[in-house]
Amino acid sequence: MSPRWLPAGWELARIRLLFAAMFVGILVVELALWNLQVARGREFQQDLARQSVRRVRIPGPRGRIFDCRGRPLADNRLSFSIALYLEELRPRSRKGSLLNEVQRTLDEVAAIIGQPPGVTSNDIIAHIRRRLPLPLVAWRDVSEAAVAKWAEMAIRIPGVDLYPEPVRVYPNGHVACHVLGYTRRAELQDVPEEPYHYYLADVEGASGVEKTFDYLLRGQAGVRLVRVNAAGYRYEDVDATEPAPGYDVQLTLDLNLQRAAESALDGVQGAIVVLDPSDGSVLAMASRPAFDPNVFVPAPSLEQWNALCKDPSLPLVNRAVAGAYPPGSTFKPVVAIAALLSRSIGPNTEFSCPGYLTLGNARFRCWDNLGHGTLDMRRAIRFSCNVYFYHVGLELGPQAIAATARAAGLGSKTGIDLEHEVAGFVPDPSWKRRTLRDVWRDGDTCNFAIGQGFLTATPIQMAVVASMFANGGRRVTPHLLKASRAPGAEEFVPVPAPAPQYVWPPSAVKVVQEGMRDVVMAPDGTGRRMFVQGYEFAGKTGTAEYGPKQEGRKRGWMIAFGPLPHPRWAAAMVVEDAVSGGITVAPRLQKFFAAALGAASTSEDRGL
Amino acid sequence: MSAARHHPGWAVLRRCDPWMASAALTLLGVGIAFIYSAGRHAATLSSLWLKQLSWAGLAVLGCLAVVRTGYHRILRQAGALYVIAVAVLVLTLIAGTRINGARCWLNFFGIQLQPSELAKVATVLLLARELARPDLNAEHWSTLARTAAIAGIPFVLILLQPDLGTAMVLLPVTAAMLFVAGMRIRQLLTIGVAGIALLPVTWPFLDSYQKERIRVFFDPWRDPLGSGWNKIQSELAVGSGGLWGKGWLRGTQNTLGYLPQPVAPTDFIFSVIGEEAGFIGSSLLLLLFLVLLWRALEAASRAADRAGLLLAVGLATLIFVHMFVNLGMTIGLLPIVGLPLPLVSYGGSFLIATGLGLGLLLSVYAQGSPATM
Repeated sequence: MSPRWLPAGWELARIRLLFAAMFVGILVVELALWNLQVARGREFQQDLARQSVRRVRIPGPRGRIFDCRGRPLADNRLSFSIALYLEELRPRSRKGSLLNEVQRTLDEVAAIIGQPPGVTSNDIIAHIRRRLPLPLVAWRDVSEAAVAKWAEMAIRIPGVDLYPEPVRVYPNGHVACHVLGYTRRAELQDVPEEPYHYYLADVEGASGVEKTFDYLLRGQAGVRLVRVNAAGYRYEDVDATEPAPGYDVQLTLDLNLQRAAESALDGVQGAIVVLDPSDGSVLAMASRPAFDPNVFVPAPSLEQWNALCKDPSLPLVNRAVAGAYPPGSTFKPVVAIAALLSRSIGPNTEFSCPGYLTLGNARFRCWDNLGHGTLDMRRAIRFSCNVYFYHVGLELGPQAIAATARAAGLGSKTGIDLEHEVAGFVPDPSWKRRTLRDVWRDGDTCNFAIGQGFLTATPIQMAVVASMFANGGRRVTPHLLKASRAPGAEEFVPVPAPAPQYVWPPSAVKVVQEGMRDVVMAPDGTGRRMFVQGYEFAGKTGTAEYGPKQEGRKRGWMIAFGPLPHPRWAAAMVVEDAVSGGITVAPRLQKFFAAALGAASTSEDRGL
Repeated sequence: MSAARHHPGWAVLRRCDPWMASAALTLLGVGIAFIYSAGRHAATLSSLWLKQLSWAGLAVLGCLAVVRTGYHRILRQAGALYVIAVAVLVLTLIAGTRINGARCWLNFFGIQLQPSELAKVATVLLLARELARPDLNAEHWSTLARTAAIAGIPFVLILLQPDLGTAMVLLPVTAAMLFVAGMRIRQLLTIGVAGIALLPVTWPFLDSYQKERIRVFFDPWRDPLGSGWNKIQSELAVGSGGLWGKGWLRGTQNTLGYLPQPVAPTDFIFSVIGEEAGFIGSSLLLLLFLVLLWRALEAASRAADRAGLLLAVGLATLIFVHMFVNLGMTIGLLPIVGLPLPLVSYGGSFLIATGLGLGLLLSVYAQGSPATM
């Protein structure tokens, strides 16, 4: 029995030393942990949040557009799209490919709803690469029948669901299409101070008031924070600022008048503008040919787009503001005002019309070869006598006519809230010398005085001219915005109309207005076909030749206002390829005013 | 050999160290809890905690069996055990299952075993017996040569798998045993310095993935989505735990898969713990390891003989090195080396090896007599 073995002192010391070394090792780890978790913990927490959270921009729905009585012109409807939620389709095994899973699911759903998917495999690959945490929208805006089939059958398919989206709808189809315009998907914008990982594009106005009032209509984008896992799939939604809808917009348009204006243009190419002569509110504006803005929701097909763009009749062009035509005889009232303002010609100044005027070798003819005999201003307007106005023009000189025309707003844009407005053109001798390097001749003056030659005007400009004769010489600014309403608010806040300016003395206007009244009301007036039983209207027809002379193509015009003595409407209408203003345009305007009066009386009866 | 030193039957359990046993069992429990947390979001990993629970049961049984047998009897078989371990290592190199490019696994009747883990314990056993010979002159270079041979064979075999981390563990373990066996500090330092000087020479012999890991240690952002990923993400997980942690089952790094799911319950279990238990919880974990190591060296200092003393020292160092390297790589102090955290990480072979090692430690303690450390 040996004595019990005991470790030597140095052995125990070395064990203690070893333990001390281990203690130091643990202390080092502890200090490193303190540094990592406590000293720098917040920094790591932020890093962690940053690496797993993606910002997704969600566009807000567009505001709606109403007519002046609150009837919808552009609305939003809920469209149902079928979307694949990829995080639920992620392959179970390492070998499985997400693309195959997606394709398989798409085929399955396609078989159920009987509609091929709207995405190609390239779209799917792009989506997986670039926006994996977002749902893949495979069918946009599916029909109700497909939704019903889906609801019956497909609830069992994992990772697929209906995805509601607000979509623009124009409930009245082509009515007021040129005013409303259309929308398109906005281009991606770089917003450097707010970087988004995923940017869902807004819908933006591409033309019409959708474009001019885009700043009101466009929704306020929201942000959704999506936590994604390491593989990039959506894990949960962390936080969101909800998108807010845009402002609602109320237009000055009156849907009843608009419909009447549209049907006045049935079967022809041309345009019509109806203003409230007291403040310049655009009550109706139509242009033909038209288009259906719903075609642009969400986007037109390539064929549709090409058809609209390549159509030689230019259906996308709003002729009411972008069509500049020689105004023809509708310009004569303006010349009459110029004459009255000059004081060298009074209302009773008479000229004789033998059917033509000889200037040097050239003979300027009246539209009536037989001549009108001796006329004063009122009768000259009633019969639209060219010779009378040749004399007036020669008496006044081109500068005076040009000045009066410009004062009425011709030759410059009216400032209507629509893009692509053209200014038309008011010629004068210095312009002709500068541009055509030619002197202004008396013949130019004669043409100018009857609204032919170099002069051009747009229907909206002529509607302003009509308004001036209706309201006693005040020049109004045509406008479309009546009121706007903030999202969630009950009431529309009116937008003040631009103030009209006094341009012409009411006494002068009164003289011309009487002549214009005769145009419609006298049984031999050139605009007698516009006569509406029981109401007094005034107007002026016009016919301007265009194109090669031998083709004899004419544009028919008419400006009109009424009912007198307190006109509520001032209209200008142009028809491309007309027989004449009096024959082609006057009956159409008659139809419009009759419909407008009917609609007005019925809505007044109903107390609207 | 007196009867007093042999305590036949289970009576010996009463002399076991309650501190060490409690610390070890607590670590086992913590491990299972966080393996559950780490696995709950991946179908393939969700039942790991149950498996670990059964491995833990086996490890406890193994531990008890070792305690009951007594370390003396096992030391007597150290040579045989060592030969078997080396043979199995050779077999692994020939017939092992290749996982992630390394032949570390042996398919043993349908159970995947990592023989290297058991080989480490066998090596420590033989080293303890050899260094405890009464005729040993610890200061003689021949001792060093013999030690180097005993440790070197498994070292090279494991290195060939290749499993650099597991092989490297043998170096500090052997050094610690030589140190306590009485080798001069100057000698040890000479070897250490020579070893460090030779390190660059080993560079060309490293596998490309090992080189990449070392490069990544110095610059994790060289390939943040590839080889740098684990380091970045595990630091991020631990760091974001903060003082108190996000709470058990509340960690997002693991949930969202930023911590690679296969390694989260194994080598990177501490990043889950760090994130969910925070600095406080991590410190408690360190405290448990400190208690475990303190009791292991206490066992050494009260060992009944020199072999027991050296055995306890070797096993304590084995546990410490695993712990230090594992935590060090998880929090970015060390390059990524695939070493598990003893008692906590998921893994059957290592858990059973650790259980056997703890059995030996408890046995050394139980057979020894109180002495002040």
